[in-house]
Amino acid sequence: MMYDVCIVGSGAGGAPIAYELSRAGYKVVVLEKGANYKEEDFSKDEIGVSRRELFTPLLKDEQHVINERDKDGVTTRYSGEESGWSFWNGSMVGGSSNLMSGYFHRLKPDDFNLMSKYGKIDGANIADWPIAYEDLESYYTKVEKVVGVSGDVVEHKFLEPRSTKNFPHPMLEVNSAAKWFDATCKALGYESIPTPRAILPHNALNRKGCSYSNFCGSYGCSTGAKGSARAALLQKCDAKIITDAFVYKLDSDEKRVTKAYYYNKELKSHVIEAKIFVVAAQAIESSRLLLNSKNSYFPNGLTNNNAQVGKNLIFSAGGSGEGRMRFETLIKKQQEELMQPGLFFNRSLQEWYEYEQDGKKYKGGTIDFLFEHSNIISRTAREMYDEEGNLIWGTKLQEKIHKNLTTSRVIVFEIFNDWLPSDYCNVTIDETVKDKYGVNVAAINLFGHPHDIKVGEYLSEKAKSVLKDMGATEISVNISSDPPPNLVAGGCRFGDDPKTSVLDSNCKAHELDNLYVTDASFMPTGGSVPYTWTIYANSFRVADVILKKLKS
Amino acid sequence: MIFKSRRIFLKNSFLTSVIFITCSGELFAAVTPMQTIALVQKDLFPDTLHTPQSSDINASYYLYTILNHSRVTDKTKSFIKDGAKWLNEASVEKYKKIYTKLSAKERQNILKEISQNGWGENWIITIMTYLLEAMLGDPIYGGNKNQSGWKWLNHTSGLPRPTKAIL
Repeated sequence: MMYDVCIVGSGAGGAPIAYELSRAGYKVVVLEKGANYKEEDFSKDEIGVSRRELFTPLLKDEQHVINERDKDGVTTRYSGEESGWSFWNGSMVGGSSNLMSGYFHRLKPDDFNLMSKYGKIDGANIADWPIAYEDLESYYTKVEKVVGVSGDVVEHKFLEPRSTKNFPHPMLEVNSAAKWFDATCKALGYESIPTPRAILPHNALNRKGCSYSNFCGSYGCSTGAKGSARAALLQKCDAKIITDAFVYKLDSDEKRVTKAYYYNKELKSHVIEAKIFVVAAQAIESSRLLLNSKNSYFPNGLTNNNAQVGKNLIFSAGGSGEGRMRFETLIKKQQEELMQPGLFFNRSLQEWYEYEQDGKKYKGGTIDFLFEHSNIISRTAREMYDEEGNLIWGTKLQEKIHKNLTTSRVIVFEIFNDWLPSDYCNVTIDETVKDKYGVNVAAINLFGHPHDIKVGEYLSEKAKSVLKDMGATEISVNISSDPPPNLVAGGCRFGDDPKTSVLDSNCKAHELDNLYVTDASFMPTGGSVPYTWTIYANSFRVADVILKKLKS
Repeated sequence: MIFKSRRIFLKNSFLTSVIFITCSGELFAAVTPMQTIALVQKDLFPDTLHTPQSSDINASYYLYTILNHSRVTDKTKSFIKDGAKWLNEASVEKYKKIYTKLSAKERQNILKEISQNGWGENWIITIMTYLLEAMLGDPIYGGNKNQSGWKWLNHTSGLPRPTKAIL
């Protein structure tokens, strides 16, 4: 059977294409490596989901090789299996969008012009995007409506231009502690922003509203309130989804991709033919697939005759910190309010999305504030050391656990700033390690630019000052070059010049007529927000391009 | 409950078969890792009037499930067993007795001693972490009986709760 479109990967990058094209009457097939879980399959099983990592592959079966370069240029090689270092996020229909927290921020207009606006930084391959914010705005709005984004637009100095006045869904209910945060920010002269979330506060879009169970991140949503690619899109269209289908090769002639080959659970090979192919397997795996798809026309990997595939891999830079609100600083009513489970914290600061230091303008970022995750096992496990850093056990540990978990609550902040692309951060193929399918695994070559740390530290000082004034104690912060595996982009950047980019401005491969890449791989720079909203929006944009092409 | 079938028994023999403790190159004693670990669990998280009881935590049973778990690495499983052997060797070296024959004070001294080196610190954390999983995981996994762990910390579990353990 000849499909109109074959999509590799069913997450936020692939699902909008499947949704739009199948609803327009085209024959669409989605090849998904993982299984299909539905609302009724999800529970808040901390052991199964968080401790045993049910939704990601076992590293002995599928791993990455990680080559980490430090600031002195020394590279250390880590086997994923031996080190336990995992870059998997969610192998399942809907991908990792099932497991996201759903903190949704748009990029700002300047994120599209980082090079023009802030100039070159030594050792970084910064490039402007070939499209502008205006090209994406209507698609951000579309995501708000179709996927479902809740929040409340408030004026602030970096509020991006909007074509609608407010979000289509009102903001989720928040804990009283968020109001203390607002008051603190007001006193400091900062603009507190209710964090937009891809979570429905009420029944809408044929999905149930949030149950305020407060276990969003890492967990599948059992009400369907979270705007996963599965709940919001794939369950609402009739695109054919083939699960347990690991695509190991794309074949092509000189101009067109012709076939996708995949292994099923039993490791039997199958072939899919289609007019158009879309790759959206998440950034690292998308580059790996292209690099492993060699043929006589593309001896270095598909659409890689200019040696650009895998280059300029980026993550979200920054880090996180926290402070503890203790009963000792609160009156009884406040203590009760603080410990109320379920309600969100949901506050962000974008006050320093751009800032000035020593007479120079810097691109800054976003700080999200949230309650520590409700996972009770991980919250107790962190109590195993005393203030001097000694391991403790027995009654000393029991008393510490009980006091901290019943008379205080931790507020966490997460910092998102640009991870500068560089020559040392990319995806290649490791020629020595194969996965359970017998396919060479991706090597993730890591390098965090020192500039990222500088910006992260600046933002963290601001976040700390808010928590301090709010009355939090034991404030700590960790800014580093550790890459967050769930915030990965680049590897197939889009641009106007085929010599420096893999994709054109419509995310079509420069070198092939019918190949698109629509996960976060296309991003030359990542902005200073989590990526998911932008991935969704861009994929809806590319869906329109493909639709037009199929109609012509 | 544990030894319902021969298949399970064979799997469990990983912790119930004897390990040989040597001292100065000579065979000193033979113990099962589980005897040692069960006592370590009580030493790390003792029964008190205010905490969940070891019978409710059911940490030893839970550790059996971990040692049979498809998503726990062989490296971790071996480390749990090897740590029990190394703990006994440290006990014999210091007190000329295996861990289960030591007084409560001597056992605490040995735990303190091994916590100062790399493997010992990691091993205590490993045993303690699985104990916390038993105490605070969903009761479907065999621990946290009557939700005693959750009640102790006023924890409201997320809903829905699992109907099937992931093993």
